[in-house]
Amino acid sequence: MRFLSRPHLIAGVVFLALALYPLINPWQPYPQAVLLMMFLLAIQASSWNIISGYAGYVSLGHSMFLGLGSYTAAIIALHTGLNPLWVAPIGGVTAVVVAVLAGSVVLRTRGHAFVIITIALLLSAQILAINLSGLTNGSDGITLELPFWNADFQNIPFYYAFLFLLALTVLFSGWIARTKFGTGLIAIREDEGKAAAIGVNTTIFKILAYACSSFFIGVAGGVYAYYQTFLNPVGAFAILGSVLIVLSALVGGRGTLYGPVLGAFIISLVNEGATVYGGNTQTRVLILGLILVAVVLFLPAGLLPTFQGWWRKRHPVSTEYTDQAGALAHTITVRERVPSPSGAGPLLEVRGVTKRFGGLTAVDGADLTVERGSITALIGPNGSGKTTLFNLITGNMQADAGTIAFAGKPIEKLPPWSRGHLGLGRTFQVTRLFKDMTVLQNVVAPLPDGKLRTMFADAVSGAEASRARDLLDVVGLGAFAAQKAGALSYGQQKLVELAQVLMLEPQLILLDEPAGGVNPSLVGRITSVIRELNRAGVTFLVVEHNIPLVLELCDPIYVFARGTCIASGPPSRIRSDQVVLDAYLGDDWRPGATAVERSLDAHA
Amino acid sequence: MINRRSVLAACIATALSLGLAACGSRPSEKAAEQPSDKPLVIGISLPLTGDFSQPGTEARRGYEVWADQINKAGGLLGRPVQLKIVDDASSQDTVVTDYTKLITQDKVDLVLGTFSSLLNYAASAVAEKNNYVFVEPAGGAPNMFTRGFKYLFFAQQATAPHQADVFVNWIKSLPADQQPKTAAYPTQDDPFTKPVIESMQKQLEALGVQTVYSSVYPPDTTNFQSIASQMAAKKPDLIAQGAVFEDGVGLVRSLKQLQYSPKMLFQTSAPSNAGQYSSGVGEASTEGIFYTVSWHPDAKTPRNTDFVSGYKAMFQNADPAEDAADAYAAAEVLQEAVTKVGSIDQPKIRDWLHANSVQTILGPLSWEATGEPKGEFLLGQWQSGKAQIVAPAAAATSDTVVNPKPGWK
Amino acid sequence: MAQFVQAVTLGVLIGGIYALMASGLTLIFGVLRIINIAQGAFLILVATFTWWMWRAIGIDPILAAFITTPLMGALGWVLYRFVVVRIRGQAPSMSVLLTFGIALVIEGFLNVVTGNRFKSATPSYFEESFRVGDILLPKAQVYGFLAAVAVLGVLYLVLTRTWTGRAIRATSQNPSAAALVGIGATSTAALAFALGSASAGVGGSILSVLYPFFPASHYDWISRLLGIVVLGGMGSLPGALVGALVLGLAETLTATYGGLQWSTLVFYLVIMAVLLVRPQGLFGARLREDAA
Repeated sequence: MRFLSRPHLIAGVVFLALALYPLINPWQPYPQAVLLMMFLLAIQASSWNIISGYAGYVSLGHSMFLGLGSYTAAIIALHTGLNPLWVAPIGGVTAVVVAVLAGSVVLRTRGHAFVIITIALLLSAQILAINLSGLTNGSDGITLELPFWNADFQNIPFYYAFLFLLALTVLFSGWIARTKFGTGLIAIREDEGKAAAIGVNTTIFKILAYACSSFFIGVAGGVYAYYQTFLNPVGAFAILGSVLIVLSALVGGRGTLYGPVLGAFIISLVNEGATVYGGNTQTRVLILGLILVAVVLFLPAGLLPTFQGWWRKRHPVSTEYTDQAGALAHTITVRERVPSPSGAGPLLEVRGVTKRFGGLTAVDGADLTVERGSITALIGPNGSGKTTLFNLITGNMQADAGTIAFAGKPIEKLPPWSRGHLGLGRTFQVTRLFKDMTVLQNVVAPLPDGKLRTMFADAVSGAEASRARDLLDVVGLGAFAAQKAGALSYGQQKLVELAQVLMLEPQLILLDEPAGGVNPSLVGRITSVIRELNRAGVTFLVVEHNIPLVLELCDPIYVFARGTCIASGPPSRIRSDQVVLDAYLGDDWRPGATAVERSLDAHA
Repeated sequence: MINRRSVLAACIATALSLGLAACGSRPSEKAAEQPSDKPLVIGISLPLTGDFSQPGTEARRGYEVWADQINKAGGLLGRPVQLKIVDDASSQDTVVTDYTKLITQDKVDLVLGTFSSLLNYAASAVAEKNNYVFVEPAGGAPNMFTRGFKYLFFAQQATAPHQADVFVNWIKSLPADQQPKTAAYPTQDDPFTKPVIESMQKQLEALGVQTVYSSVYPPDTTNFQSIASQMAAKKPDLIAQGAVFEDGVGLVRSLKQLQYSPKMLFQTSAPSNAGQYSSGVGEASTEGIFYTVSWHPDAKTPRNTDFVSGYKAMFQNADPAEDAADAYAAAEVLQEAVTKVGSIDQPKIRDWLHANSVQTILGPLSWEATGEPKGEFLLGQWQSGKAQIVAPAAAATSDTVVNPKPGWK
Repeated sequence: MAQFVQAVTLGVLIGGIYALMASGLTLIFGVLRIINIAQGAFLILVATFTWWMWRAIGIDPILAAFITTPLMGALGWVLYRFVVVRIRGQAPSMSVLLTFGIALVIEGFLNVVTGNRFKSATPSYFEESFRVGDILLPKAQVYGFLAAVAVLGVLYLVLTRTWTGRAIRATSQNPSAAALVGIGATSTAALAFALGSASAGVGGSILSVLYPFFPASHYDWISRLLGIVVLGGMGSLPGALVGALVLGLAETLTATYGGLQWSTLVFYLVIMAVLLVRPQGLFGARLREDAA
């Protein structure tokens, strides 16, 4: 690995050039003014990227935090006589407080509704600024004193303040992207339900991301107020400012580290160019609209990703395909990380659990017990409620009635991530990998506990990443670490999902059709991994239609029909159980265990 | 690693070229003033697009008429005048950058103000920092003049809180039985209308006029039936509304729907938008509506007829708006000071303006040390489908005052 | 008491008109999962055109809806077929930005063509009122309200009683299943977009009579409409109706009994409170998300 990759190098050089510029040419307030507004937009776009680029919750009211920061600094300055510059960080604190409070309400909504609510937040802030006139001077606005320094240096302090804040913002954003917190945010963007299932506390993550995306904007707001020397509700909480933020990030490439900064630079320079050269036309709004439409239609990914794609095409990196045999030969080395079975009594106890969807009762008073160290199977015809029961156990859905106990603890009221932290992992019937993340990121993403230290652990290098690499080796896909997960075959994705679950250090893994849709050679691979893990102390609950596989692998077996358990016991008993055969085949079944096996096989 | 090195080189080259392209003197070191016949450049940033584009465009026309006339008369200080007008898209950020560029980069000789207080707040600070005289054609919000600026001058007769003085004085002059007994004060929450109405309410209450209704409504209010029906229920003699424009039209229309016509109706600036206002409320219904204004096309102030005819000649016979006249007056103020001082020495111009009074098409203007003007607005009234000035007497274009207001037609 | 009845009556009249304007937005969202930020600009576009026809030719503004409605339908169809369709399947924010861009284009176009000036159509009846006891019913509002009710009724009938309507509803509930039973997703989507845009034909005509407007007014309108739609539940027609009535009543009641300056904030707070309890809005449907 190189010490610094090319993008970081370019960014460093640009930063250096910008930092030197006022020294080379101090007496030019105008270009400094243009550049400092450019930095301000970049600070906002880069911060916005944390909630909207990484976590995918697009905020169209993000300039609210600039207004909040401005007002905080200005109000303090007005009432205490302190210089707004020194109290600017308090603006950041205000922004964070508002982000946390508002976030805990508005982040309950998703997708479109969230976009609209952020606009409503912005307008609400404006209305408050107008009406709390005792504090804010209402619609008259607040005027501040002129900067105390010599007018010859008029814009230089602001220039450095914004440049410094921009550097901090980018470093902060880059650091987040490297942590498991950042990976978790991307996981939320890709598939929020799945993220919760691998231990990501989506509520906390989203609120925290919203707060992270507000702080530096708030601080910049205080500086901005002093630069403007005047602020009023209409200017401070303008929707067009928010649109420019979004446009910047979009042009540069949202979700990337440098894209929003690049976009902000381009947008500010184009804007200034329009002022200087476009001149006195009424067509400005028209042109802005046309640019926005064109960017969305023709450059939806943004410049940076588009350029990177082009670059990769020009400079392809060859990937070695790991053959199955090589992968199979790898020794399994997860044992030391898996907690050894301890405690007494069954690991999982489901009692009288019921789930209704309108008039349909999908799970009807189901009972199920999973003993420690077992590989328990759950079989039954399609629609018998197996997957729904899985969802109830892992918390993707809330049960209407009944209790679920894990290692003796009731868990039916816990959110999915807390169940994950207790040691409950699952895979999905149809794999739900984060397709735009790399294979390695997919495996790093799970959080085995809710501790802050784990959350902010390095996800790119260090212990977590090397563990993820180990786990990828276990499933034989180490060579694919840097590939996009969406590029893998279905069977490979199943294996990655298994590695992902192992990252949770689970005591119990729920596998939803591990062999479904997978070619036979990989099925063998999967079962050997399951066996090896089981020997290491991991308990399994498996839903599977491949009955021979179940009969060979699992003990005991539970049979589900119409939402409830109709039979259970060791494979030998299930194989010949009358009730089971009825449930699977109806009344016209033909006698003979082998025939049943054949039918069940065909069904799988 | 050719790539990496070339990138590095490119960046350094960029920084250097940015730097070297314009290595200059400190902003405070003004080029020594040498007599020349090079054009005298006046820098102006105006909101030609965006929210304030309507007044911004009119102001531009006012400035252009002035420049055209002064150049025909031989220029300023013997030099031809050249206007350097840039668009700030109604954005506070851009207006700051614009004036910074005009003053420090383009090194214009003089600057003139922009439109709307919201932009002038930020723009005047740039001028003040750089010691440029800043004559603004708009920006009468009271906070403007509490900042201790020394180079700021407002080229209208009065700031917002004093805008309605002329109306209050007219009411005082009426016989007691014709004065209103009760009044309603709805106003938009706007820095230019609210102070007008608040100060009027205070003054009229002191006169013994009973306040029966008062409310502040937000700028995005579109439905006025509720406000109108509440006022109609109180039957006030006077309704004084702080109306920007569309809210003024909206309230009159709602009052018409409710068939309530007060004896006196005053609106701040809405009725001065001649054509738009009368077509909005219906020409017949404008009769008797009062408003305050800074200028009138028929006023007998010096050079006013030149301005009106010059404007019509330049712009396809269109009628000049008040905003254009205000801009013209601001330019006149600067012109008078520069001429009298005989140079473009900013501190001297500032001192001269603080000490003297200037004759403009708005009438005579003079200033407090804060830059706040000392004068009085004009009281306008719609009469027979035409906007007239009824007070003060010196500026009046009509001798009669319609009182009480006739019912809606 | 009379004051209260008056406020409620006005609130209902206003709410009905808001509902009409919001119906296009919610319809388009329901089928296409696109928030059409340009809906406000559509209204202003129609209002401007209506105003021009009224001034130049003397066509009654509300009757002008018979001309503007098919025109807007055609515009919506063209926009969908050639522009909006290209972002199908992309993240929701892209559609927001695209339609925001379209709104800016319309605003800019109107700026260039008509200038940044206030306009309003003022036919003679706009200043008359019906009187029922002590209650005054402004004629313009009443006609606007009746037109709104008529359009909402027709929209309802189209959606529930015609094949096209069923196709639209089927596509809104499950696009791939609808495609399997032979409903062309693209043409249905284009139809829905056209229908939603066409509703701006009547809405804009009413707007031109009731409210002064200028090109940038669309911001005021779209934020109001978005609030209505989020409150009612995005994609739900009855939800839009209820949301609109809540907003109409909130406006008139706060104007009568409280400070009007707080009415918008109160409305937003109601939205937040509703979302806290029901993230999907009052009438929004929440389906099983696990079924693959």
